[in-house]
Amino acid sequence: MAAVLETQDLTYVYSPGSPFARTAVDHVNIAIEEGESVGVIGHTGSGKSTLIQQLNGLLRPTSGKILLHGKDIWAEPKKIRAVRFQVGMVFQYPEYQLFEETVLKDIAFGPKNKGLSDEEAMEKAKEAAEFTGLKRSLWEKSPFELSGGEKRRVAIAGVIAMDPDVLVLDEPAAGLDPKGRDVLLAQIGSYHQHRKNTVLLISHSMEDIARTADRVLVMNKGKAAMFDTTPNVFARSAELETMGLRVPQVTAIMTRLQAMGCPVPSGVLTLEQAIKELLPLVKKKEADENAQ
Amino acid sequence: MEFIKADNVRFAYEPAEGELPREVLHGVSLEIKKGEFVALLGHNGCGKSTMAKLFNGMLLPTEGKVTVEGMDTADEETIYEVRRRVGLVQQNPDNQLVASIVEEDVAFGPENLGIEPKEIRRRVDEALKAVDMYEYRENAPYKLSGGQKQRVAIAGIIAMEPDCIVLDEPTAMLDPRGRDEVMETIHKLNREKGITIILITHYMDEAVQAGRVIVMDEGNILTEGTPREVFSQVELLKQHHLDVPQATELAYRLRSYGCGIPDGILNEEECVGALYALIRKE
Ligand SMILES: Nc1ncnc2c1ncn2[C@@H]1O[C@H](COP(=O)(O)OP(=O)(O)OP(=O)(O)O)[C@@H](O)[C@H]1O
Ligand SMILES: Nc1ncnc2c1ncn2[C@@H]1O[C@H](COP(=O)(O)OP(=O)(O)OP(=O)(O)O)[C@@H](O)[C@H]1O
Ligand SMILES: [Mg+2]
Ligand SMILES: [Mg+2]
Repeated sequence: MAAVLETQDLTYVYSPGSPFARTAVDHVNIAIEEGESVGVIGHTGSGKSTLIQQLNGLLRPTSGKILLHGKDIWAEPKKIRAVRFQVGMVFQYPEYQLFEETVLKDIAFGPKNKGLSDEEAMEKAKEAAEFTGLKRSLWEKSPFELSGGEKRRVAIAGVIAMDPDVLVLDEPAAGLDPKGRDVLLAQIGSYHQHRKNTVLLISHSMEDIARTADRVLVMNKGKAAMFDTTPNVFARSAELETMGLRVPQVTAIMTRLQAMGCPVPSGVLTLEQAIKELLPLVKKKEADENAQ
Repeated sequence: MEFIKADNVRFAYEPAEGELPREVLHGVSLEIKKGEFVALLGHNGCGKSTMAKLFNGMLLPTEGKVTVEGMDTADEETIYEVRRRVGLVQQNPDNQLVASIVEEDVAFGPENLGIEPKEIRRRVDEALKAVDMYEYRENAPYKLSGGQKQRVAIAGIIAMEPDCIVLDEPTAMLDPRGRDEVMETIHKLNREKGITIILITHYMDEAVQAGRVIVMDEGNILTEGTPREVFSQVELLKQHHLDVPQATELAYRLRSYGCGIPDGILNEEECVGALYALIRKE
């Protein structure tokens, strides 16, 4: 498969040459395949946001390259705007992305900018609003009068309405209630399957990453510390701990049972898998006891 | 006596031009005792942040009354005393970070309280260490990562040493270790200094650590009780957009398949213990 996005020795230094210089992204080499769903995890300040803001040309690398469909995105700096339509980004604090009078107008802004007519843009906006679970009663309200979780939905809808090839979401579910979280992740999942586009999801919730990602990129102090399949990454729990990360609670439970001598496999990532493993064991035990 | 009391509180935000006011709290009554650790849960838009701002008088009830140690938050004479007692860490740290240097930002609150400079220095250092941001004390807040900003915002409130800290989703942007550390810090303030804690969160594994859980729904209180009481109502919580920790859900689902696993499991420890007993008991 072809890589849709590739980084070559990507490095970003804030305030270079000053006493406050800070290398936030340090020689990162990754290749993201077309159509895959990548989870990005890492401690606070590990460089996740800095990394992904370079992927759509919002930040210009200090050194190194980003290839989109094999082409250096900075080869022609004047065309960088086009990159932003192909790589759509939902920022960590979506409040900054909101500025229009009404929720729907805000969501329609991107598609309009991309060249759709007012009507088409509105249609797209409504679809996206529906999709992210924004109640109709909020559509004509000012985005500034919404609760934290509602604002986040507006920001996500705004990017989805642009229908980008690569969808990058920086902590999209932070601040959503558990149901909202589930629904949003399921929707991103089905959007991903339906559109066959590429999704990058940054999250501090290991449970969410375990559920959604094909592969996981682990950032640690600006470096790409791991980039492997989700089960492989979460099998390295001791290393993850040293980087301030964890495995999902259900994975930890199963790993501990295994260490205590119970015949359960490692690499269990979801509740469904755990139940499938545990149920026969418990039933067997009960049957043995009844037989005695 | 109760420390904070909300009595039949109704609230509507100032409507935009040409719109009717929409009530978002419909007569909420609750009491928080001194030294308690309370988790406040509920779906997006149910009114948690609004409640938080009512607790320290940032917002005033449209109807009903909020009192802090008997002082009405609507009483202008005592509002200063109320704010000194109840510190609020807001949902978006950017709303709170005001100064251009981290340590100045943390000092802002205590300065406003008229604390003397030497004491401010001590408090600022201690608060920054408590959230593990001491080495960033000379940085500019806007140059910090999301999680780092959140820690500074928490330090700013800790430095005011209020009797009660209301934290509005303080761990939403933190990594797992950071979340544990912030939770530990909050527990320590509660345990060692007797500071009353009101924690708003969407993380159920944090809520189980509270002494009491209050669940809101659409501007009303849905249920309240100890974590064990509240989190044993798995169906009710799910119906209202909430969840239970994975450990609780695993036990609950196994029970629904007829496994003899006990009720009310709240964390990893308890779940592993119960499962081990079931699988390996000789
Ligand atoms: N505008 C800026 N100027 C200077 N330094 C910055 C700036 N933004 C971020 N940094 C620093 O760069 C590093 C990486 O920050 P980044 O925001 O990429 O981290 P992150 O992994 O997204 O963290 P979080 O999980 O907290 O959002 C941090 O040490 C941060 O302090
Ligand atoms: N400034 C405002 N003006 C008008 N309405 C508002 C304002 N802030 C919040 N609301 C509305 O009040 C209701 C309660 O909002 P609040 O922020 O208290 O919810 P919340 O429980 O904190 O939600 P979240 O979990 O999303 O943070 C929501 O319906 C919201 O749309
Ligand atoms: Mg970030
Ligand atoms: Mg809120």
